[in-house]
Amino acid sequence: MSKTSPKNGDFIERSILSALAFLKDATLSEEYANRKGFLQSLDPHLKTISFLALLITTVSLKSPALIGPIYGLCLTLAFFSAIPIGFFLKRTLLFIPFFSLCIVLPNLFSIVTPGEPVWSFHVFGINGIITRQGLEGSILFVVRIATSVSLVVLLSLTTRHTALLKVLRVLGVPQIFVMTVSMCYRYLYLFASMVENIFTAIKSRVGVISHHRQGQRVVAWNIANTWNRTTQMSEEVYMAMLSRGYTGEPRLLIEFHSTLKDWACLFCSLIVCASLLYKAYSL
Amino acid sequence: MSNLIFELSDVHYSYPGKFPALCGVDMRVRSGEKIAVIGANGTGKSTLLQILDGLIFPHQGKMTAFGERLSEWTHRDEKAAHRFRKRVGLVFQNADIQLFCPSVREDIAFGPLQLGVSKEEVERRILEVSGVLDIRHLLDRVPHQLSIGEKRRVAIASVLAIDPEVYLFDEPTAGLDPSTVRHIIDFIVDANLRGKTIITATHDLHIIGEIADTVYVFGRDKRIVRGGTTESVLGDRSFLEANNLVHIHRHHHDGKEHVHHHLPLEPHD
Repeated sequence: MSKTSPKNGDFIERSILSALAFLKDATLSEEYANRKGFLQSLDPHLKTISFLALLITTVSLKSPALIGPIYGLCLTLAFFSAIPIGFFLKRTLLFIPFFSLCIVLPNLFSIVTPGEPVWSFHVFGINGIITRQGLEGSILFVVRIATSVSLVVLLSLTTRHTALLKVLRVLGVPQIFVMTVSMCYRYLYLFASMVENIFTAIKSRVGVISHHRQGQRVVAWNIANTWNRTTQMSEEVYMAMLSRGYTGEPRLLIEFHSTLKDWACLFCSLIVCASLLYKAYSL
Repeated sequence: MSNLIFELSDVHYSYPGKFPALCGVDMRVRSGEKIAVIGANGTGKSTLLQILDGLIFPHQGKMTAFGERLSEWTHRDEKAAHRFRKRVGLVFQNADIQLFCPSVREDIAFGPLQLGVSKEEVERRILEVSGVLDIRHLLDRVPHQLSIGEKRRVAIASVLAIDPEVYLFDEPTAGLDPSTVRHIIDFIVDANLRGKTIITATHDLHIIGEIADTVYVFGRDKRIVRGGTTESVLGDRSFLEANNLVHIHRHHHDGKEHVHHHLPLEPHD
């Protein structure tokens, strides 16, 4: 009997294919951006500026009670943008705030954050004291992260990625950087599909890979083959760019079509931010 | 002559570390001509198109374009390079190479923008060429979401937006469904009627009668073994057989199977 079961043998292949599937789903799927909803109807440039203002306000506020309205606004906007709230909460609250909670855990105790004791316990001869200052600081940290992540996820879900890349240009990011990122995005799908096809082709010839050593060899071929093809393709793409007049200084099509509604939304979000900041720093 | 666009004399080219790709090519292209370049795989057709597009330069021999010597040195002058790019456009065989922008609209706009066309004019051209190639509904799509036929039409649109005098097509109909092939042939014929010069490298011998008046045949020795009118070249059965350019058909008639050669210009029996 083989020491390695088939399940273990194709572990690398399954991991790579799952990673590619996640990549396609998370990065390249624009299902929600193509839906008809409130945020989808806004101009990406002004929408990004509005979200940026809300994000800066979120990290500037020092009270969870003041960050709460921004999180509430985020959920309301998600609802009116045809994004299922269950899906949105799962995507924003499950991992990142959970890990931030783990990071901030030691901060609760008096040994890290001295202060007014709220609750104490005695386990295995060790006295643990949770302080009010530690508790408040930890809650603020987690609420800030949850709200910031929600804002960023909401923006990326409701905006087509190509539009988001163009917004970078408006924010002063150099053209060459925007173009390089755009091209990476463009070819990500192509190479992901190429790797999938290579695995399918290998499977069609040798069947299921049953030993991890063979699996490692297949992955090594795949890496080498993908590397060769990307190198070759990069030369050809450069030629295609030269053929259409590229001389090293890219000029891109940046469209900016804003309506009264876009400006009104930007104005409203700035009013919300200013009010919260005023309330936070005038108290 | 004043209407001479390209003149190649004894042009040689070798890819670094590889076998020679062209071994002494002589060719003259006049304005308004409709030319097909045919030959087996690896005979140098794509290399020739890249040389004609000023992407690579002959290692030996002489080449002129629009009456001026074309070399790596002349292309280092940005103004000269832009002048050339405005006049010559290449549609690559692999549309995935040509469509490197994140959306169809940006791909069509890329060429004119690099060549200094104003944004208003670029917008006008996008609408115009997308209408001509029936891709207006694809403008905001991402290239990787398109079918092969759609990608090919977008690739042609990206060159059409530059409005060059000379169109170079590398296998424009390879792997496409019949209706897309028809659309592309109609586009090529139409462009030629509007005075554009067309040079097409292809394996699809059945379309040559429509897309070319002159045919150049590349041989295994990577040079042009014959050039002439479409009728004279494609009508020479023994020449086509000698250069593996004859289709072989297998038929069933009344329950019997037979195999016969089929010449590109012959009616199909």
